[in-house]
Amino acid sequence: MDIGALGVYVCLFLALYFEVFLLISFFEKKPHKKTSARPARYPTVTIAVPAFNEEHTILATLESLTALEYPENKLEIMVVDDGSTDGTRKIAEQFAASHPQVSYYYKENGGKYTALNFAIERSQAELIGCLDADSFASPDALVEVVKAFEHNPDAMALMPIMKVHHPKSILELMQSVEYTFGVFYRKMIDNVGALHVLPGPFSFYRRAVFSKIGLFRHAHNTEDMEIAFRMHKHGLKIINAHTAYVYTTVPKSVRKLLVQRVRWSQGFLQNSIDYAYMYFNPRFGNFGMLTLPFGLLAFFLGVYTAVYSLYTVSSSIITTASDFWATGVPLTMPSFRIQWFYMDTSMLSFIILISLGFMLVSIMLGQRMAQNRITIKALISYFALFGLIAPLWLLRASWGTIRAREATWR
Amino acid sequence: MTDWKKYLLAFAITAAIFGTAFYIAAKLDAVRVADIRATQDAISIDLLSSETQFELLGNTDCETLSEHPVLTDELNSLAEQLSYAESKLGSDNNDVISLKKQYSLLEIKDYLLMQQVSQKCGTKPISVLYFYSNSGDCPDCGRAGDVLTYLRENYPDLRVYSFDYNLDLSALQTLIALRKVDDNLPAFVINNGAPVYGFKNVDDMQALIPGLDTLATSTAATSTKEK
Repeated sequence: MDIGALGVYVCLFLALYFEVFLLISFFEKKPHKKTSARPARYPTVTIAVPAFNEEHTILATLESLTALEYPENKLEIMVVDDGSTDGTRKIAEQFAASHPQVSYYYKENGGKYTALNFAIERSQAELIGCLDADSFASPDALVEVVKAFEHNPDAMALMPIMKVHHPKSILELMQSVEYTFGVFYRKMIDNVGALHVLPGPFSFYRRAVFSKIGLFRHAHNTEDMEIAFRMHKHGLKIINAHTAYVYTTVPKSVRKLLVQRVRWSQGFLQNSIDYAYMYFNPRFGNFGMLTLPFGLLAFFLGVYTAVYSLYTVSSSIITTASDFWATGVPLTMPSFRIQWFYMDTSMLSFIILISLGFMLVSIMLGQRMAQNRITIKALISYFALFGLIAPLWLLRASWGTIRAREATWR
Repeated sequence: MTDWKKYLLAFAITAAIFGTAFYIAAKLDAVRVADIRATQDAISIDLLSSETQFELLGNTDCETLSEHPVLTDELNSLAEQLSYAESKLGSDNNDVISLKKQYSLLEIKDYLLMQQVSQKCGTKPISVLYFYSNSGDCPDCGRAGDVLTYLRENYPDLRVYSFDYNLDLSALQTLIALRKVDDNLPAFVINNGAPVYGFKNVDDMQALIPGLDTLATSTAATSTKEK
């Protein structure tokens, strides 16, 4: 076995190990089902809506917030316009004028985290949340968030389940499956108390978080990740409210998807450098022992597998072309024989099949938790495309980190 | 808190999955080798039967002999299986080496029988003895095999016998000595002529094989490796 193939086996072992770990977590602590119970108490809540040029989606975002099943006098919605230059200001101002719960603020552009800090500094609520202006909360999402905080008094922050808003194109369908896997993945990582990010769509914090560890900091355009790292550093618990659903719009073009994912991936790498001391440090529990090392490992294994596959495929093409040139034997389509003798029954094939099977089981479990409906077309899109596109952002993010360049938002 | 038991359990399950996959793959490879061996045994019996039939009939009934030609198709099919097994298990696998020895013996017997039939019945088969090496000292052997495979697919009556030059088999080494084949591989012995050395493309090889254009052609071509 050559070194390259041995590396693939190592990658598969680690990937399978992680999948097995997640499945053990699932059977150990199955997520409870959604109930119609109401919270014992309705705490005061501020939801910040940072917005920068979101004229196409902000109205639907605000409508989803005013439609939340929550006492109006307990809920405050703050739109913080981070210097939009499109029609966002007009739409948000008009909406605020007709909804007393909603207040609108305009500030100079300083980045999403400055808009969030702007809202946090002005809020007196017990719970402070955020909803990106391209996302929409389901009507009972806030009630579910409050119930999750009630059931977990030691939890200091939480994130909901994220679903893709009306996926239509193949790229959106691919992302909808990825998000569905994310539903399962996040809940299982939550089971071991090791969530590494508090994403923009509908994450919530107890007010005490900011007094203990401070506000959001500039952190490689992934401030929602940095604050999660910082919370782990201070021993503050983050949970996943898997019964609170939020819908988010996803990039519709490969270019936009790459920009978004390069930012996320590079943010993870750069925050990892900033918090390197947490790696393999049992003091930080499963976050230091599992999430961080496996996150980083997955990153490099993804890059390795992609480069190795590219090398193998291009070598094969070059060999075929040079053989054709040298021998004069016409090229023919590879023949597929149905006899069992010629079937690929190598260990590698079995391991790949088992890994894909576990992945499929995880997606199905995520689908059940999110009460989603994943179509065959979406599954095919995911399995056919994700492996081709993901290495691009992993490579770009690696390059960006090596050059110490910050990934852009758009 | 870090749950070490869960980490160990996940490791044990993953290792067990890898172990099971390895075991199943090895078992299936063993079944595959047994399949090849069974095919070789069947060919061996058929070949013995043909030889015996030849002895019984002598040169009195060439028509019957031509109706029961020596086992080119079966040998070709076996060669494909063996080539596949070799690509999967490696050329240094003991089972593969043992099977290759048996296969080479069958080829030699088939070749000798064909010579005898040819002499007694006056037929003029076209044959190529092809000598290759898998030891890394013959970079052109793969391509030479491709050319011969292509020609055999296009001319089903062309008899190609391929031999691993380095195989430790006395009958094969005797054949190599008799035909005076050097280790300058790839090497071809066409219709019992002097050895021809070096890679030849399709056109060169067609030019080297006299009477090839008189053989029936086939349009159904499949890709198999001639090794």
